[in-house]
Amino acid sequence: MDLLVSLVLGFISIVLINNFVFTKFLGTCPYLGVSGRLDTAFGMGLAVTFVTTLAGIMTWLIDFYCLAGTALEITRYVCYILVIAGAVQLVEMYLRKFFPPLYEAFGIFLPLITTNCVILGLCLFLNIWKVDSFLMATVLSFGAGIGFTMAICIMAGIRENLELADVPECMKGAPITLVTAGLLTLGFMGFAGMIK
Amino acid sequence: MAENQTTVWKAFRGGLWDEIPVLRLMLGLCPTLAVTTGVKSGLTMGLCVVFVLICSNAVVSLMRNLLKPHLRIMMFTLTIAAFVTIADLYLKAFQPEMSEKLGAYIPLIIVNCIIICRAEACAAKNGVLVSVVDGLAMGLGFTLVLCFLASIREVLATGCITFSETFVITVLNPVDKGGWFTPWGAMLMPVGAFVTLGLTLGAVNQLTKKKA
Amino acid sequence: MSSKIALFFRESWLLMVSSLFFGGLLAITNAAWSPKVAENEIKKFNRLAGGLLTGATQFESVKDISMNLGKGKTAAVDIRKGLDASGNCLGWAFVCEGSGFVDTIKLVVTTDAGFTKMYGFGVLQCSETPGFGDKLNIKDGFYQSQFKGVPTEPFKLVKGGDPKALDSNIVAITGATVTSRAVVNALNEYMQQIKPQLVKQGLITQ
Repeated sequence: MDLLVSLVLGFISIVLINNFVFTKFLGTCPYLGVSGRLDTAFGMGLAVTFVTTLAGIMTWLIDFYCLAGTALEITRYVCYILVIAGAVQLVEMYLRKFFPPLYEAFGIFLPLITTNCVILGLCLFLNIWKVDSFLMATVLSFGAGIGFTMAICIMAGIRENLELADVPECMKGAPITLVTAGLLTLGFMGFAGMIK
Repeated sequence: MAENQTTVWKAFRGGLWDEIPVLRLMLGLCPTLAVTTGVKSGLTMGLCVVFVLICSNAVVSLMRNLLKPHLRIMMFTLTIAAFVTIADLYLKAFQPEMSEKLGAYIPLIIVNCIIICRAEACAAKNGVLVSVVDGLAMGLGFTLVLCFLASIREVLATGCITFSETFVITVLNPVDKGGWFTPWGAMLMPVGAFVTLGLTLGAVNQLTKKKA
Repeated sequence: MSSKIALFFRESWLLMVSSLFFGGLLAITNAAWSPKVAENEIKKFNRLAGGLLTGATQFESVKDISMNLGKGKTAAVDIRKGLDASGNCLGWAFVCEGSGFVDTIKLVVTTDAGFTKMYGFGVLQCSETPGFGDKLNIKDGFYQSQFKGVPTEPFKLVKGGDPKALDSNIVAITGATVTSRAVVNALNEYMQQIKPQLVKQGLITQ
């Protein structure tokens, strides 16, 4: 029971309280680049969630069983990024072979995902937060992806309406999106301190 | 030779103005938003990026003829990650305070889109000299933007720019030191980062529109 | 089969060679700089603790002190004995962790040699909200000063009151009750659990 409670709390905390986009600024590039339309934003979010979960689990296992406490710790960043790049490539090949429709939907986003800070950021934070159980690492990895999906979908929803708004010429596009994102982070600050 | 010089010059100018990162390319936003709470951290971050960009551009350019298309991204990230680790170790050894403050954002340079974008767009196609100059210019451009944003945020948030305990430039005299300026704490929070960058981009758009 | 292996090597030799090369490069850098990194960490602890334990010139680690974190988890405590130049024990310094409003707060806490009086704390790591919980970080600010020279009996958090009175009532930072409470709770927990263990090891008397 305690385990379940801590897992649920961990999930809520990473989705709302420590949302990577709003509190850690991770994944801002795709957040601005792909949030133009709701359906592409959702596709991107799902692809990221998928890869984050996979990469989070894999890097946690490598870190916990191979690197931690040994001299190999200095190669940590290299290992992480190779695992992520490899995972993205594998997912791409696998989807193309077995799920062509899904590949068509995700296809354009997949190569971009390697440089999505959410994924590497999550792997690093799993290490910084000293997560020491496999289940927790899985839940946090999945939650980080969901948090990103949520952020990007909220933004896409707002931007679809922003197109109809009367924005000064020079602020159109990225500038007004950034200001909007700033206001959103204010809202999300309200969640901080919800779980102690 | 003359042609070579012009490409080098073009690469240099490109990084510093024509394609200045963040403001024109909209790449590398995560560190821009995260570390611009102080000029010193912005500067440290910028210099790290300069180092990594120059080294990775040089290495990628050296092996550009050996790259296999589907292993390309892996090679890029491997090279970048190795140099980032070196930069991280350097900071830990000689700038421990900065290393602590920047924390996870130093390893996150690996996924800074600017670096991988330059590897792909410039270093994989050009010779070593052009690539190195391009790395230097892009890195310096990025550093400039970071310092600019950081100085706005730090001044509005604290009234002064702090480099160390003894070296502080007071711009607006804050209330708690007997001045008149009430610091805006919000500028240090995420909202300050997003709004400052948004307004700066707007201003840049306005300026360039008039010129055109 | 052999052609497949050949294909594998033809495609990936560059990746392998450069992995080896960069691995070697990292190993060399690490070997050159890691003593410096370790030294920095010790320096930081000593600077913080030394600022609070006047006269202490060196710190000696004490082993086998642990914290029961609840839910069956324990963690080792980094506790050190502060010695002056001639080797007399001046007091204790330990690292205390508590979860704050944003993230974990890490403090260096110092007490006198008998573990009866607290000399104060310094901040190792704190990422609380700027302008609010962040005030914890102000060296010699009102919150930190409240702990300078108070008895190590359990602290109580109060809102309003006299922050200058050196007693177990700690006045919270306005707008950052969670942070203030996190510090008080963490200090209480650590003090309560560490003291009996030190007595047990014969390092202090009751």
